[in-house]
Amino acid sequence: MTHYPSQRTEHMTRITYDIYLVGVGGQGVLSIGELIAETAFRKGIPVSFYPTKGMAQRGGFVKAQLRLGRTTIGPAIPERGADMVIATEVSEALKAVRYIKPSGDFVLFGHVWAPTAVMLGKAPYPTLDEVLGAARDAVSAGGRVHYIPPDSLPRYEDAPVPDNIFTLAIALKQTCLGDLLPAADVEQAVRTRWKRGVERNLFAFQAGLSVPLGEVVAR
Amino acid sequence: MTGNDALALGALHAGVKVVAGYPGTPSTGALASLLALNPPGVHVEWSINEKVAFEVAAGAAWAGQRALCTMKMAGLNVAWDSVISIAYSGTVGGLVIYVADDPGVSAGMAEQDSRGFAIMSDLPMLDPSSPDEIYRLTRVAFDLSEKTGSPVFVRLVTANCSSYSVVNVDDNPPVWPEREAVLIHDIEKFTKAGSAICMSQHRDLIARLDKAGHVIAEAGLNPLQLGKQGGLGIVAAGMVDSYLDQGFEIASRFGFNPKEASLLHLKAVHPFPTERVQALLRHCNTILVLEELEPHIEKGIYVEAHRLGFAGKVVGKLNGVFGRIGEYGVSHVVKGIGAALELQTPPDLFPGKTDAEKLAAARPITVCAGCPHRGTFMAINTAIRKAGFKKNQVMVTGDIGCTILGMNPPFNTVSTEVSMGASLGIAQGYVRGGVKTPVIATIGDSTFYHAGIPGLLNAVQHQTPLTIVILDNGWTSMTGMQVNPGTDEKYQQPGDTRLDIAKIIPALGIDQFWIVNPFDLDETTKVIQNALKLPGVKVVLARQECSMPAKRRGLEAGQVKVVAENCNLCNLCVILTGCPAITLGQDAITIDHDLCYGCGLCATTCNLEAILVEEATA
Repeated sequence: MTHYPSQRTEHMTRITYDIYLVGVGGQGVLSIGELIAETAFRKGIPVSFYPTKGMAQRGGFVKAQLRLGRTTIGPAIPERGADMVIATEVSEALKAVRYIKPSGDFVLFGHVWAPTAVMLGKAPYPTLDEVLGAARDAVSAGGRVHYIPPDSLPRYEDAPVPDNIFTLAIALKQTCLGDLLPAADVEQAVRTRWKRGVERNLFAFQAGLSVPLGEVVAR
Repeated sequence: MTGNDALALGALHAGVKVVAGYPGTPSTGALASLLALNPPGVHVEWSINEKVAFEVAAGAAWAGQRALCTMKMAGLNVAWDSVISIAYSGTVGGLVIYVADDPGVSAGMAEQDSRGFAIMSDLPMLDPSSPDEIYRLTRVAFDLSEKTGSPVFVRLVTANCSSYSVVNVDDNPPVWPEREAVLIHDIEKFTKAGSAICMSQHRDLIARLDKAGHVIAEAGLNPLQLGKQGGLGIVAAGMVDSYLDQGFEIASRFGFNPKEASLLHLKAVHPFPTERVQALLRHCNTILVLEELEPHIEKGIYVEAHRLGFAGKVVGKLNGVFGRIGEYGVSHVVKGIGAALELQTPPDLFPGKTDAEKLAAARPITVCAGCPHRGTFMAINTAIRKAGFKKNQVMVTGDIGCTILGMNPPFNTVSTEVSMGASLGIAQGYVRGGVKTPVIATIGDSTFYHAGIPGLLNAVQHQTPLTIVILDNGWTSMTGMQVNPGTDEKYQQPGDTRLDIAKIIPALGIDQFWIVNPFDLDETTKVIQNALKLPGVKVVLARQECSMPAKRRGLEAGQVKVVAENCNLCNLCVILTGCPAITLGQDAITIDHDLCYGCGLCATTCNLEAILVEEATA
């Protein structure tokens, strides 16, 4: 059990921000959620965090819903209600499409985690164009799709950095989430979240922040 | 913290002394968090099943202590026999039953609405919405239980017990003085011998529920805010209440005025809040009922509407606006208000379009890399084939827990899943129903202890020809690796002891009994194949520790290496094992060594010596 000090929540912020996270178990999707929830909590922003993982430890569909800025709120984000989607797997991204606001930011890290049947050529897997197309259609009212190619993942000491931290940093930099949660605060959460590999995680975070504005917008 | 954590802390701050439960998603976290806290002077245990857990808690409450038992909705079915009986007897110390429902089915179970059980048992039920409310109402539940002498349900749902939010924890919770255990010898209260006793207890039960209604009303647990006379009244039960605010924000864009609405927030869903509902009916001309799953409250409202001669309309499930399936959210609030007030809302507000999702690749869940059940499923499949049968000629019944994953590809081994322990009874039914081919029952270790033993005894008594494969991985793994009676002595609670299945089976008079290592595929296959030919009851204990806790301790079964030049990418290893650690590379398969446990099952499938295993030397 995480024991937080009891906190008075009179400090009401007027800004509300909902984030829908999807991916595959083992990708660190829930860690992204925990980092955001932790940062928001430290800043006194009311937060609800609702992780849902399937039965399998790894390789199953995982989602999480984050709701920032409301004191009384159920944990489930309504359809077309998410200010941001962060998807860390191409096919699973489709499961978040109906939750993005037409004006929202849809962030996709383009990792492909093929189920066994797909690997054996016995089952279909959506194309990247299909997925980006569905996401683009959903953000028809001024929203943006940010696509992060998996080969853009930087390396640190000869191994790729954690994609979840890289993706989170890009999301902070490229969207207004960064106004709500300053990168420095999230970086502090990254620093304290894991005992091992701090340098590598911070490298991933900084690399994500250094991607120029607009660079990953899928046109 | 999560709602489960909040429940645990609420119970602790209410002076709970004994906590017993059985793991079950989504309820597991509550007892798990108490075990982790290890509060001094509080007995916390994973019991063998929910019925026993409830009896342990009830016995402690009869001895005057405050006690909690925890379970998921399916567990309540297991405990039910004792719940009804103890409802009749009532309690001495505070007795709280925490049950978690799963509307929307995130864990794979029936969408059972446990509020119906409160109605059937005449026990009060609290149904909080947020984790903060869970903390507060759990404490209230213990007080309510002691004030009325009745066990009290606290019902949560997946959305509030598994989600995290800020909980205002009492910084100075009351210090509970140690209570001396009491012994009350009162057969009029604690036995059911004789109709006079039972009927008198039934009267007492109804009186206690009535009293609970008064206590709930006095405590104001179901707040009612009256708005405009003759306007809309909204009844929100449990979890749904937390979606009202955002629903109102959205609905107000289409002509709804939240200030005019009357609101009844139901936190105590049983007994039926008659006075509050009547007040609402007298004040409003339209009632919107927001409750997940079954229309329990709504039906009660119709009764009160009839008694009062209410001429307005009631919007809910019974007039077809909502269904009984799935969880509620913001969209239900908006849709309900729209239907009640006949507002024009744009059709694309919540379009419910799932076109995109339909394109997504199917991702059937399978067993983890290094899971010993993989070997057992592969062995069962091979044994059936070698015994001369096609797969569809043989029935393999399945059971609850990780072992049910044998139903999925690539194994497609087991074909039924009913309830804890049911693989054994169902299999005997297939035999008695005239199936001529061998029938196999599969069951995990925790499930075997929980409810498998009576089924096995039945097979022994009636000498029903059956092959039973017990997949013993030493942990209650599906719910997150809890300790069960068979878990290694090292991990038992101080003072607890281990009960070995290998000693139980022979003691039940079963001499056709083999213990195999499922990582030894040849041997396991041979033993099962042989068992299929023999008459009577046969038990195969496939024993190997769950790789998850083993890996966390730094263990591995062996080292697996790919000899790339021997691999022709025939894919047999992937086809037969479905192991998530194997992927297809350019010229050869590759193995993710972070995932791989070194079980070597993939190597047994390879005809080209492209996968080599070195056994662990440790």
